Amino acid sequence: MLNVLMLGVGQCGNRILDAINREAFGGGGAAKLAKYYLRPKFPSRVETLAINTAINDLKELRFTTAKDRMHVANLHGVGANRNVGKQAFMDNRDMIMGEIEKRGDFDIAFVITSTSGGTGSSFSPLLINELKRQYRDITVITVAVLPFREEGSLYLQNAAFSMRELMEVDAEGIILADNQYMKRFSGDIASAYDKINNMIAKRLLFLIESLDSEMLSVTDLGDFKTVMNGGLRIGTMGFYQADSKNLSIKDAIENSLKPVNLLYPANVADDAARAMIIIQGSRELLDVDEITKEVERLSASAGHVFKGIVVKKGRPKVLSVFTVASAPELESIYAQAARGMQDEKEKRSRARKQLDDAFAHIEDLEEIY
Amino acid sequence: MRRLVYLLLYILLIQAAHAKEASDNNDEVTFKDFTLNIGDRIDLGDYQMELIEIQSVRDGLVVMRVSKVGGSLDEQRALLLDSPNNFDGGAENGGITITVADIFDEQSAKVRIEYQQILGTPRKRASERPAAALDKPELSVQKSFDKNQMSVGDEVKVTITVKNVGTGQALGIKAEDIPPLPEFTYVAGYPPKIKETLDSGQSDSAVYVMNAVKEGSIRVPAILVSYADAKKNAKSNSSEPFNILIRPKSKADLAIKLACYAPIVLDGKGMLNISISNLGTASATRIEADGTVMPSVGLQVTGLGKSFFEILPGADVNYSAKLSGQKPGNYTIRLKVSYDGGDGSVIREGTAEVVVLEREYKYQYLLLIIPIAIITAWMYRRYREYKY
Repeated sequence: MLNVLMLGVGQCGNRILDAINREAFGGGGAAKLAKYYLRPKFPSRVETLAINTAINDLKELRFTTAKDRMHVANLHGVGANRNVGKQAFMDNRDMIMGEIEKRGDFDIAFVITSTSGGTGSSFSPLLINELKRQYRDITVITVAVLPFREEGSLYLQNAAFSMRELMEVDAEGIILADNQYMKRFSGDIASAYDKINNMIAKRLLFLIESLDSEMLSVTDLGDFKTVMNGGLRIGTMGFYQADSKNLSIKDAIENSLKPVNLLYPANVADDAARAMIIIQGSRELLDVDEITKEVERLSASAGHVFKGIVVKKGRPKVLSVFTVASAPELESIYAQAARGMQDEKEKRSRARKQLDDAFAHIEDLEEIY
Repeated sequence: MRRLVYLLLYILLIQAAHAKEASDNNDEVTFKDFTLNIGDRIDLGDYQMELIEIQSVRDGLVVMRVSKVGGSLDEQRALLLDSPNNFDGGAENGGITITVADIFDEQSAKVRIEYQQILGTPRKRASERPAAALDKPELSVQKSFDKNQMSVGDEVKVTITVKNVGTGQALGIKAEDIPPLPEFTYVAGYPPKIKETLDSGQSDSAVYVMNAVKEGSIRVPAILVSYADAKKNAKSNSSEPFNILIRPKSKADLAIKLACYAPIVLDGKGMLNISISNLGTASATRIEADGTVMPSVGLQVTGLGKSFFEILPGADVNYSAKLSGQKPGNYTIRLKVSYDGGDGSVIREGTAEVVVLEREYKYQYLLLIIPIAIITAWMYRRYREYKY
């Protein structure tokens, strides 16, 4: 059994972690009551911990136990200031790591964070470093959420610098989710957040369950690490569940790789470095030959593809995890972030100049009473 | 002169007429009534008439003695009532005629004396002798029952008491207590026998026993006692009739009351109170009480059977039986009491319902509360787990 640590850092990470906990209660509306009489059903031994400097963000959580919510005291958040955030982490590092240590040893840790916020973007790189330092054999996967582009230049700036730091740390890989990309699934921002969070939560739980299941065709944590080490060590996940009208496993695999079912915009055929396809469904629906053919077809363009088949009653579900060799969308984010930073710098200079000019009016004058 | 002669003649005629009239008046017979006691005497001229004896009131015989001064007449004669008796030729002939007009009692009588006026006026001379003591028996008769109210089947003792409250001896006493009453059967001593002779002040009584056989209100007729005095004068007397009530036959009537005041808990003990009351008018004897329980299994009853020798009218006996509940349910205890109620053997029954409760779980309500409390506590704990 895998020992899994799921850390939700910052408001975005906390919410995704809360969605994971809700899914562990069965998801949907029933989970609201189920938490009072059921224990969360994780496929493996999963420990969750929500970390935040803003206590109000922790109070918003509904499915995460109080003991799994950790407030790092720093007034009311770091105000999207990564430097303050880093300082807050360093000041509370021992407390944070002690809290994690209480939860035992782990095989894999998912650090779920937004790249644009204050706490998550500043804490996560440092936290990953600490995890790797404290747990030598642990596999650390970062689940990084890119911001809506219209959220402001400061968030884009944070995303840019945070991503760079995440790339530099010794984690096994980054799974990207792009809010801007998934915004199209829902009309308004609030429901888009919920839907994105639920999508990420379901896929992560599916991944954990699959890694810890007895498979018809085996993939394990080692395979997953290999996939995440491929390319830029930046990957994403696709997911598809066949509907009752079309139970074809081939179509399900193809659909799981379509951009519409990915968390981050990528072209598997052109950009994928390594991939893992995990298929779950009733035995009669899992045509191994067809699966093999489809995987072989995918391997021709994406390099190595691991496949895992889990026999479980139900319609076919396919989770595809792949790393990319190029990330054009990231480049556009950095460009946008740079423009924003430049604009911000210029605005600040102009404002300073205006203020200096204003002060010049009273430069030679004394106060008279 | 002539006128003088006529006057003289007229005077002579008047005188002659007066003389004639005077002579006629002296010869006229008259009478006078006297009430005489024995010894009283009437003097009329030379005649003396004395009442000697009332010989028989019933027969109307009175003895009188008539004498004449000089001894030419001295006769004692029994006079019959209402029969004129002539002495010295009777009143028409210058003698006297005596008639007994009435006999009041054995001491006095009313007599009529007829005589010629020439003999003068009769005068009564009361006797100076003391009145002789009466020899007059008088029986008082009394008939009594020893009880005024009785029931069919009861024996009643009738006492006839005859007492001579008179002064003379009563002879030939006969008691006639007839007819026999149909409401009774005569057990012993009937007809009553009374002494034939009772001296003054003596009494006698007779007792006979009857058995009441028919209910109702009965007028008991008088008893007639006939007797005669020493002079054979027949007399009689009777008792006063009176009413008696014969009620229906006395019977014992037992009422059975069974009372179990509270349900019995399972494996618990209880008490069944039994009261047997005699509401009848006769004693109940040889009382045997025994009971049954339905259903027979599940309720143990001890002490239900009991025997009593007698329960007097209006009395009651009480006792208790012990109950032991062994199985929940409703039980019927039927107590059968047989007794002799004076008219043969009688059976009475009484029943009581006894409930043996299901086992009471004192803290049964906790079965509801504790799970709710546990669930509430559990949910609160979970709430606290998620409360931040």
